[in-house]
Amino acid sequence: MKRIALLLALVFAVAGIASAQQTTAERWLHVRVECTDARGDTVRVNVPLSLAEKVLPAINHDRLHNGKVTFDGRMEGVDLRAVLQAVRDSRDGEFVTVQSRDNDVRVAKQDGNLIVHVRDNKGSKDGRVEVRVPMSVVNALLSTSGGNELDLVAGIRALAAHGDAELVSVKDNRNTVRVWVDSKNTSD
Amino acid sequence: MILGKLALGAAGTVVLAGAWMANEGLVRVSVYEMPDARQPKLVNVIVPATLVPAVLHFVPDSALHGALEQARPWMPAAQAACEELAKLPDTELFEVRDNGEHVRIATRDGLLVIDVVSPRETVYVSFPLRTAWKVAREIQERGPSS
Repeated sequence: MKRIALLLALVFAVAGIASAQQTTAERWLHVRVECTDARGDTVRVNVPLSLAEKVLPAINHDRLHNGKVTFDGRMEGVDLRAVLQAVRDSRDGEFVTVQSRDNDVRVAKQDGNLIVHVRDNKGSKDGRVEVRVPMSVVNALLSTSGGNELDLVAGIRALAAHGDAELVSVKDNRNTVRVWVDSKNTSD
Repeated sequence: MILGKLALGAAGTVVLAGAWMANEGLVRVSVYEMPDARQPKLVNVIVPATLVPAVLHFVPDSALHGALEQARPWMPAAQAACEELAKLPDTELFEVRDNGEHVRIATRDGLLVIDVVSPRETVYVSFPLRTAWKVAREIQERGPSS
């Protein structure tokens, strides 16, 4: 009898741990846009990555098919896939640094992240854009065999496997935008 | 005696039907318009969710003026979204506050809830995710040839 009770307790414990892991493993993509003027307009989006992972392959429309987005070989004369591959295969370092009267732009690979920083020197002095994409996500996006497509679903899976991360931060004198991933289902 | 048995049968059927409908949940649409303070208009529609896919089944495509045709390609995505949302805890998926208007889309107790509040009107829509999934399936299964 004791053995049965012990076995049952063990089963429930394992089930509980599995359930807890399933709950905590859920990753959420958050978007928050806040207008800093008196009206205080806001946009908040909380999307579970598992939702995006399941929904994207079900959309077959325009350039999006089976979770992969197809793009023209060259966008504005830039071969996006070639650029991403070049970044992936290179060592850490700064790739682009532009300092002008209007903007400062910095593109770098650092600590396993692709980083893009833009600072506005013209309009709002404190305007800035910061984008940080884990290289694991870049690799996943490029994992498709198609020459001119990116695997969005693989990218989302890689993002889900990555820890908490702030992906995009934009700030100017009127708005702040944040895009980040964490394990909470609220953006507060 | 026969009347009594008939009444009991009818009552049982009503109770069973009620329980079946209640189990599926309700679709609720409330619109509160305030064109001016003296004549506010309230429209409140509450329908058993079970009826929605069943009714849709009997509506001919022609009556929907091609709406099904346009919606059909998106139905697999809608089904996948409903399935995933049903697995997750209650959450606020989307919220916008803009110039006195407030739009909110959230999941609550297996329902998808849409709230729109503006100075002129308030709209509240809620429906079970399970019903949305069934409607999406119904639309998907009604291929162009059927």
